[in-house]
Order: sequence, then C-alpha cells, then structure tokens
Amino acid sequence: MILPDYYEFCCRVKIVAGHDALEKIPALLAEMGSKKPLIITDKGVAAAGLVDIVVNALKDGVTIGGIADNVPPDSDLKVVNQLAGLYRDNACDAIIAVGGGSVMDTAKGVNIVVSENATDLMAFSGAGALNRRLKPLVAIPTTAGTGSEVTLVAVIKDHEKHQKMLFTSYVLLPNVSILDSRMTMTMPPFITAMTGMDALSHAVEGYYCLQKNPLSDAHSLAAVNMIHQYLSTVTQNPSDKEGRLAMAVGACLAGISFSNSMVGIVHNLGHATGAVCGVPHGICMAVLLPYGLEYNMHKCGDTIAELLLPMAGEEVYRTTPKAERADKVVSLIRQMNQDLNAITGGRHARYFSEVKDRDGKQMVPRDVLPAIAKAALLDGATIYNPEDQDYEENLLVLEAAWEGKPLDRSKIKKG
Amino acid sequence: MDLTNGFAFTCPFKTNSGNKALENLPVELAGLNAFKPLIITSRPLAGCRAISTLKNAFGDSGMTLGIFDGVTETADLSVVEQIRDIFVKGQYDSIIALGGGVVVDVAKIVNLAVSQKVADARQLSPATAIRDPLGPFIVIPTAAATGMETSKYAFLQGKSFVSVHLMPDLVILDPRLTRAKDGKAVAEAGFAAFGRILEADIAPDRNPLMHAYAFTALRFLRENLADAVNKRCNKKASLAVANAVAMSGCVISNTDQNVLHRLGQVFQKIVHVHPGMIIGMCLHPFLDDCMKKDSSLIASLLLPLGGDDKYAAMPEAGRAGEALRDIYEFSYEIYRSLKGKIPRTITEAGIQQYLMNDVMDIINQEPDGAYLRTMIDRVGGGSIKA
Repeated sequence: MILPDYYEFCCRVKIVAGHDALEKIPALLAEMGSKKPLIITDKGVAAAGLVDIVVNALKDGVTIGGIADNVPPDSDLKVVNQLAGLYRDNACDAIIAVGGGSVMDTAKGVNIVVSENATDLMAFSGAGALNRRLKPLVAIPTTAGTGSEVTLVAVIKDHEKHQKMLFTSYVLLPNVSILDSRMTMTMPPFITAMTGMDALSHAVEGYYCLQKNPLSDAHSLAAVNMIHQYLSTVTQNPSDKEGRLAMAVGACLAGISFSNSMVGIVHNLGHATGAVCGVPHGICMAVLLPYGLEYNMHKCGDTIAELLLPMAGEEVYRTTPKAERADKVVSLIRQMNQDLNAITGGRHARYFSEVKDRDGKQMVPRDVLPAIAKAALLDGATIYNPEDQDYEENLLVLEAAWEGKPLDRSKIKKG
Repeated sequence: MDLTNGFAFTCPFKTNSGNKALENLPVELAGLNAFKPLIITSRPLAGCRAISTLKNAFGDSGMTLGIFDGVTETADLSVVEQIRDIFVKGQYDSIIALGGGVVVDVAKIVNLAVSQKVADARQLSPATAIRDPLGPFIVIPTAAATGMETSKYAFLQGKSFVSVHLMPDLVILDPRLTRAKDGKAVAEAGFAAFGRILEADIAPDRNPLMHAYAFTALRFLRENLADAVNKRCNKKASLAVANAVAMSGCVISNTDQNVLHRLGQVFQKIVHVHPGMIIGMCLHPFLDDCMKKDSSLIASLLLPLGGDDKYAAMPEAGRAGEALRDIYEFSYEIYRSLKGKIPRTITEAGIQQYLMNDVMDIINQEPDGAYLRTMIDRVGGGSIKA
C-alpha cells in the first residue's frame, strides 16, 4: 500500500445503518441536545411515502417542528430563506433532510442561515468562510448514489441574480447519516440502476484520481465490491432488503472516497453533458465510466487493475493475466451497463445515442458533442484527473461514448 | 460482511499525514475557528526537538501560542487543574497535544475541563457527563504514541474517561516527529495497534466503515513495522506505522471486541508496561481460540496481510492457516530482531508476584474474567502465580 508524501482524509459524519436505523434518530438527536427537528424534503420523496416512514419512526421520540416538502429539483435561495423562517418560527433545534442532492444542499443552506443568523448567504460562500459548528443536521438519503450525505459542499442557486453559490466547509458535513433499507425499497429499477452507477463512478474515480490516499482507497475497494455484487440484483428485485442496505452502505463508502480523493474526467464530461443536454447525472456517469477508465489507462492501469479483485472475486482475478486485469475491469463495467439495460427493458442507457427523454426524443444529438466538449473545459473536475484533457480529447471520448465503441487509445495525447 | 443487524460508526478526526504536515496548522486551526492554541506536551517525553519543530511550524502566521511542557508520567488531575488555570487566564481557544500516552490523556481531560467550564478540574471524575462537543483539539503524536491518543478513552491515575467527544478534531502525522529513538518503542506501539485492530476486524459484528480503517492499518503494519523497527532511518516506514497506530484509535472506539486491549490496559495500569508488550504476547493464544470458533473470519485477514495475489492464489480452505502463519512469521521476525528487548512471556518480563496478584484482582472483576485468566496463564502468568 502506497503512503503518499502528503495526504488528508476526513469524514466526521456518524454513519448509522440498518433496517431499522430510522428508529435510532430520537436518541441520536437527544445526544446532540435536540428534540424539535424540522424535516426538509421534496414532493417526490413525500409522495413516495418515505416521509411518512420517517415520521412514524420518530413518533413519540421527538416533537416534529415542521415538515417542508417544497424543495425544488434545483436548489433555490428563496426556498432556503423561507425554510429558515419556518425553522425559526417553530423554534426548531435540528434539521432532518430526507432526499437526494438538492434536498441535502437546501438543508445545508438553511443550516447556514439559522446557525450563522445570516441575512446574506453569499457572505458565507467559497471555502474557509464557515468555521463554527452549525445546528445538528441528520441526513437521510433516499437514493443509493449521490453520496451527498457525507459531502462537505452545498450549491445554492439565486435564480433572481442568476448566481450559483458554492459552499465548502467541514462544518457542512451532516452530523449523522442514516442509511435505512426502507428509504430505497420503492425506488424504480431505472432510477436504482442509474443512481447505483453514479455510486460506482464515485468509487472508481475516487480510486484513480490524484488526491487518492490509503483511506480513500480502502473505502473505494469496499464500495466497488458491494456495488458490483448488489446493483444488478436490487435492480432486478427491488424489495431485496439486504441488497438495498448493502447498496446504501456501498454508495456511502463511495461518497466518502470521492469527497476525499476527488473525481476526474467521468464527472467532468458528465457535468458538462448534464448542463448542455439536461441528461440525469447518473446516466452520464453510467455511460462515461468505462471511457474514463480507458482514457486514464496508460497513466494508472496498475491502479485500475487493483479493482478487479473486489469487483469480480478471486477466481476471475486469478485466471486473468496481470496485463489484462485493467481491461477486464472496464469490460465488467460495460457488462454491468448491459445487464442493467436488459433488466430495465432498455431504459438504462449504455451509450449517449441511447439516452431518450420521456417523449422518446434523443437527449444528446450528435451535433451537440462539440458544445459539451467545450463546456467541460470550464469544469473544475479536470484538475484531479490523472491525464490532462483538452477539447479534442474531450470530443474523442464523447464521440466514442455516443457510439458505444471502445475508445481509440492511440489518439490520446500522452502527457 | 453481514449487515442484517445494522451498525453505527464514527471517526470524528481528520488525518493530515506527510511532509510538512505541521505547517498547515495555522490554516487547520482557523478552520476550527481557533486562533490562540495552548500546546500541551512534555519536554522529557516528547523531546525539545519536537517542541521546537512544532513552534517553528507556525512561522510567520502571527498566531499567539502558549506552551505547557511539564506533563510527567505521574501527572494527575492536579496537573490538569494547573493547565486549566493557564488556559483560562491566558484566554486560549484550543488545545494541541504533542506526544503520546499520558500527554494526550492530560490534554483530553484539560479540554473537557475548559470546554465544560468546570471551576476546578480536580472535581472531574469518570461519572462526569460529556454530552456536548468539546473545544478544538488537535493531537500530534510522536513515536511515544500508544494508539489511544486518537481514541475516545482517556486514563489518568486510575480514572477512566470515555466519550466520543474526547477524540481529537485533527491528528497530524509528520515524519519529523514520528521516528522513534529505539526499535522497542515502535514494536510495542505496532503490536498494540495490530492486536486491537485485528480483534475488531475478525469480530462477527465488524462493519464496512470500520473495516476500511482496519484494512489500511493492518496492511501498513504488515508492510512497514519490521522496517520501522530495524531501519530507524526509514522515515516512510515509521510514518506508515504512525498512521496505523492513529487509525487503531478510531477502530478501538468503534468496537466492543477488546479482550487484547483490556489485557494491555490492565498491565499498563498495574505494572506500568506498554500495552503492546502484553498484546504481543497474547496474540497467538488469542488467535488460536478465534481459529477454533470461526476460521472464516481469520481467513479474511489474509487479504490485508498477504496482499491480493497471495489471497487470490490460496484456496479458501487454506486461507485461515496461511493468515495465521503470516502473523506468526511477522511477529517472530520483530521479536527476533529486537533480541529479547521485548519479553515474549510474563515469566520473561519478570513481573513480580504481588503485581500479578493485583492484575488478577482486576481481571477477576471482569465479566469474562475466567477467559482472561486462561489467556494470562498461557503466556506464562500461571507459572508466576504458582
């Protein structure tokens, strides 16, 4: 195991996992001196009955200070301020966030406002502006993918001023994350597949990106093992309780890894594709992951090869010649996409050309690839990718990912 | 790994490890909203050089530092009170502990006293409730670290404090400070960490989060402990061991499986020997017992200890035996290279009868006292008693 000349690793979040983890929240809140939490969620999560499960689990243990289910898909400063008002009016003393990325972002934004008594959230944006403990925040993810229950960033949009505020601080880490199998049990196969591939992309990119370290590596290896083992089975059998819990834990491990080692080309091109074409993040990750590995293969093939054992087990590892192990990892990930495509009746896209919206319209027309390649140059995720990227190379990867053909590695400028 | 029964895991400290790690201290303190730290250390135990390296790391940051360097092996709550008074009068806002063992125990209890604003630290007791997070607290272990520095435990003169809030916010591992003067100290710290982690990692209730720390630490120890003991100029090996020792504090704070740990603590308390000495002795009989109970858990150790190729090449039925062989070879190599500096039995350690009686009195009060006694008997404790 390589000890880098220098590394930092941090995940201060308490992780509580289980089939009945939600029932532990009252005691966890009491430990933090809280007894009146505000529940923040969105309409989709509430409609799926997940908030009812949470409320039922909290029952007599705490007084619920309010339930706000109006978090929009894109975080909004107005909603943050409105929920902060609700928190104050109802004399709440903690926040429980139930949902995905935008719910977590909103909850973190509300927490800044109520803890710092902020009138102008902008004053706390950037890195280093927040250094005092905030109010207790309990995160309950409802997908097994984003890892936002263990990340230290929040993005809040000011739609009036057309500004995007980024907050980065260890104090934004939730105090507790609750991984409960009931929260993902009703997730449809198509969503299960893409969020699971999002988690896999965190684990894999976390393993090869430049800020990797021994602890992030160990989290990645465990995550890769669990996600590869369970993603197809839970997509096939949504009510598989053990599989759901394993996926929640795997996604959390992956989140811890990438928030320490950062992410690279897969996220870089994925963010750009999402911004230009509105493709869901998980789909972008699923499609791009094999290409990210191929793109970086000449720089860190040995590192990628180390993923084979946790992914495929000792039999496959032993029977695959050393020089072919990294390629085998790529082909196994392609196979996962293939399997998920079959299980979801074709809804899980393998290539960008297959991504369709609700009306069956192609979401990534081939002629927008240059725009995506260009947009990606402005995204920060390139910094931590092992191999440098430029416009032509971005386009090369995007073209291959659009067609579903392996990357022609001879065309990569080796830096 | 069986997740059916659920689990909870927490590691509140951040790890900064490597070259010039100390130089980030001003930034790290600011991130904890701290600008005037009090350094708690010991001139004889940490060494003047380590103290000046730490002071120099603040360079031209403009931060005001306080230093209390008078912690001794026999420090008690009156020393804690003395430091509390300095902290309050000097209006410090954070604590940096430099050293290992008692230095950090004292610092943890000072942090408790100043954070909970007690009027007199001598009134603190293990019954003191520790509900809220304490003030900013950074631990900088030296080679004197025992592994408990990063844990939720603090021991002082027979008093034992336990709370997750006692754990540091940050641990800094800097190669300038983690190199030991003698191989014995490294081996003892390494054995202590190895035993504590190994026991937690072969427990049926282990969880994937704790396992990530255990896996990393076990592999670091297996790959580096012998070099750190024998080639003390090898800074990288010492730093890898220091990393593993720091991780062991996180692991021991997240497990109830602590037979080896408790044995080490009892002997440390009564006989004043390093817990690593006893943990090293008891490792083999303990593993023999585990092997009889469930060899599949021992088998899983072959992956962190033997590496990917060795693990994958070994048929499943042979993995537990190979893991045990690996551990025996690993510990034998270290004992052999130290040429008797670390005793392998209680008889060799020459522990006197009256001390063993005191040890046994404590052991007998433990719920699993009968089992712990058999363990002591098997490492030569029985012969002394006879």
